[in-house]
Amino acid sequence: MPKKIISVGKKIWATMTGWLKKFWSNFRDVPLISWLVAFSVTVALEIFIGQALARMVGLSKPPALFGVALVLDNPAKFLSAIIYMILVYGLPVGVIAYLTKGVGNQIAEWLLQFPLLLTSVVHLLLIYGVMHYWTSISDYRLLVARLAMISIIVTLSLNVVNGYMGEFSCSHPGFMALGAYVSSIFTVLLFVTDNRFGDALLPAFLGPFMFPVSLVLGGFVSAAGALLVAIPSFRTRGDYLAIISLAFMFIVKSLFENLEVVGGARGISNQPDYANLWTIFVWTVLAIWIINNFVRSTMGKALNAVRDGELAASAMTVNTQKTKMVAFLFAAFWAGIGGGLFAHVIRYINPGTFGIRKLAEVLAMVYFGGLNSVTGSIVGAVGFSLISEALRPLDIFKWIFIPIMLILIMIYRPTGLIAFREFDVAQLFQPKGKKDEEGVDHAAA
Amino acid sequence: MDVFLQQLMNALQWGSFYALIAIGYSMVYGVLMLFNFAHGDIFMVGAYIGFFVSSGLLALNLGSVIGLSTGVELGLVLVLTLIISMLLNSIVGMGVERIGYRPLREAPRASAAITGLMIGIILETANLALLGPQRRSFPELIPTTTITIAGASVTNKKILIVIVSLVLALLVHQFVQRTKWGMAMRAMAYDYVVVPLMGISSDRIALMTFAIGSALAAAAGILFGIAYPVLDPNMGILFGWKAFVAAILGGRGSILGAALAGFLLGFIEIFVTMIFPSTMRNLIAFGIILIILTFRPHGFFGEPFSAQLRL
Amino acid sequence: MPLLEVSNMTHFFGGLRAVHAYNLEIEPGQIRGLIGPNGAGKTTIFNLITGIYDPTEGEILLEGKTIKGREPNKIASRGLGRTFQTLRLWRHMSVIDHIKLGRYSKLDYGLPGAFFSTPRRLREEEKTTKIAMDLLELVGLPETADQLVTNLPYGAQRRVELARALATEPKILFLDEPTAGMNPEELIDMMKIIREVHQELDLAIFLIEHRMKVVMDLCELIQTLDFGEVIAEGTPDDIRNDPKVIDAYLGKEVSV
Repeated sequence: MPKKIISVGKKIWATMTGWLKKFWSNFRDVPLISWLVAFSVTVALEIFIGQALARMVGLSKPPALFGVALVLDNPAKFLSAIIYMILVYGLPVGVIAYLTKGVGNQIAEWLLQFPLLLTSVVHLLLIYGVMHYWTSISDYRLLVARLAMISIIVTLSLNVVNGYMGEFSCSHPGFMALGAYVSSIFTVLLFVTDNRFGDALLPAFLGPFMFPVSLVLGGFVSAAGALLVAIPSFRTRGDYLAIISLAFMFIVKSLFENLEVVGGARGISNQPDYANLWTIFVWTVLAIWIINNFVRSTMGKALNAVRDGELAASAMTVNTQKTKMVAFLFAAFWAGIGGGLFAHVIRYINPGTFGIRKLAEVLAMVYFGGLNSVTGSIVGAVGFSLISEALRPLDIFKWIFIPIMLILIMIYRPTGLIAFREFDVAQLFQPKGKKDEEGVDHAAA
Repeated sequence: MDVFLQQLMNALQWGSFYALIAIGYSMVYGVLMLFNFAHGDIFMVGAYIGFFVSSGLLALNLGSVIGLSTGVELGLVLVLTLIISMLLNSIVGMGVERIGYRPLREAPRASAAITGLMIGIILETANLALLGPQRRSFPELIPTTTITIAGASVTNKKILIVIVSLVLALLVHQFVQRTKWGMAMRAMAYDYVVVPLMGISSDRIALMTFAIGSALAAAAGILFGIAYPVLDPNMGILFGWKAFVAAILGGRGSILGAALAGFLLGFIEIFVTMIFPSTMRNLIAFGIILIILTFRPHGFFGEPFSAQLRL
Repeated sequence: MPLLEVSNMTHFFGGLRAVHAYNLEIEPGQIRGLIGPNGAGKTTIFNLITGIYDPTEGEILLEGKTIKGREPNKIASRGLGRTFQTLRLWRHMSVIDHIKLGRYSKLDYGLPGAFFSTPRRLREEEKTTKIAMDLLELVGLPETADQLVTNLPYGAQRRVELARALATEPKILFLDEPTAGMNPEELIDMMKIIREVHQELDLAIFLIEHRMKVVMDLCELIQTLDFGEVIAEGTPDDIRNDPKVIDAYLGKEVSV
């Protein structure tokens, strides 16, 4: 009897995936630019008629994320939420992307004659535009979008160590803490009048300009902290990094708990609100660009070589110690930047923020998205953040669903969803459909 | 001097929890080359199982039913609680192995570390969801009496805890050294392929490793409940991670090494709090561990790590 | 001055003597062979000279300068390339990336290039790709450039390893059983490639080999090793007729 159920289930699954594939084949040749246009139309739609539409289908206001909160509040609203999502997102995006694919491909073709930089800027502006207006509807969306982008930075940087280098590092919350504290101290000390650090030392208008300085400073401090982990760990081969980095994470957390100067266990608050959407967007793009450059350079490939065969790497003139050190410090630097941005989004940090839970979260994003893959990390960070936010109304049961999801992913795809893939920007912007290659369409989602 | 002796006893007691948990970590790491990041939470589950078993046994009111004096009844309850909880928790441990680790035997080791981490979170959350966030107080199984030795007053609980954990550690050590099963475990630690050749299924050895480790964790949980009668769902986290580090400090797969490192960790923590404020405990403990690992990377009794968390 | 000079090299593993008083002089352009029964210490000698182990005693000079105890990567970039007995390819990497990585120490765009993709990096990477393609041409695998190395047949993987070693621009190339596990067809190909490489790039080659035919055909001078000691040295004809060599092999493989 159970066997029968399983075989019927498999059949249903097969037909469903078959339909989905057939449906998706209509969109295979939609270039990124058409998707972006479709999304901007959708966002405009939501801004102008979202409220009215929500009323029409029986919701009091447009759902902030996926309407999970609304549905949990009143299960009868389930249908309404789905209808809303289809009317505002599913239908228009699909239709417009499908209709504009011809024009979109022509534009993408036309853009090919310009340098890649210009094409990138066009696409990035469109992405930013969509995000800007999408988040303008609710503060909650804005917060989620900002945190998701910071997650991209942190996930990518951890992927450099756990994926590209193939070691297991547990110290990322520690590096984030270092970056968060250093940049917070810098900005609060200089630009905020509060009762911990006293009067602002510099005029407030300078603040936003000095914010990058504070972030980079935080990044450098956390890279310096990484040196403390790297020196004993990479001297000998083995599982040391996992253990020493774990100890390091606890040391950093405990250190800040004991430093009364920076608030002890209570932490620092009142960070100025410098980390707005576009600042984070710029930093995220910068991080993706630089990290992708790094992993695709011969130095980044050397990292893979060290992972897959250290002996052969050193016989091919690769300085394995130096390669590992550089990559680890580099990763720590970006984790520090991520931490600094995080502190200025939440505007309150304490040592407890950077504990085991944070570690589990960051590791989950890396392994969810896929090892050794920039695309994977972007998808992993954004996907995980969205899922995690969507499930927030479930309260603590969220922490049963998410682990089960991850365990299933680990069992069926042990290196994550999109592992071992190169992220080629030029390919991403290309017109689609001519060569019918494997698309990189995921990045658009 | 008497203060010192008293603290020594505290340190021994505190260290015996670490020692028992660290042995579990060390066995899994030694035999299967896995970081069982769920082990701290298995300890927590063990403590809760102990709580329910002992409460249930006390509610049966064996004393008046069979006609035992209170002292004998409590002793019987303690022994039964230990045995039953260790059995039940070893089933939990085997379940964790079966669900979280066995499907990943061929996968990269890092992936198994992730599933372990996730199973730990599930155990904590499930506990929180089922029993609520409030703390539970462990029933008093041993009436406290204070004995004075050389000017230091020591409770009978402390002595019992230290003795029970030492006995358990030695038992497991003997098991691994003497029995056929133990031999298979040690063989598996050296070479994964050879064990099936000996006519023993490696899956069964893996299950047994987890079962023993979890049974010890349950014992640690009950002893912890006797000493500090407050249980909460997050009690396993920090304990577990520290015991993990202690296991490494002891050396790969060395049971006595792990126990010794557990006791050492207990000593460090207790004596740090004598001199420094107690908030500095983690800082200094982990600092010392870092220094030891820097100068003695293979731990006290370990051989060089042969494998690495590789893709 | 010989290109590579090893004098009186001895090595112990724990208390076990693996190599004893080993001497070697290789002139530029020579092809030399090292034979011996299993466990004689041939690969250990390779590992000692290429820096994976640090010899207990002795001196190793490359072009008159010592390389004893240096890091493997330093020795490699000074002009000593090698392949491995068991394939040591990087399983997640494409063929072209393997060969480009052999030029790691020749690239000097540094961290700024790695992070910001500077014009200099683009220039150097382009040049490296060209060199790598030429090398692939030389070993006869130009069409596999973008494939994952694990998708190639065994013989081709061996050739990728050779090309990768050549990318380090070695003055002397160490080949550890280059034809191990090959079928007769692949074997003939490999020997042809080794000859071509030797002629075109004008380098010295030092090879370990089990198959007598390969050694006898390729090498000018051959050393025979047994229990870590050289028991015979000479031209292929000398070795063929040396009773000590026949004895060491118990006469089983020498019948060419």
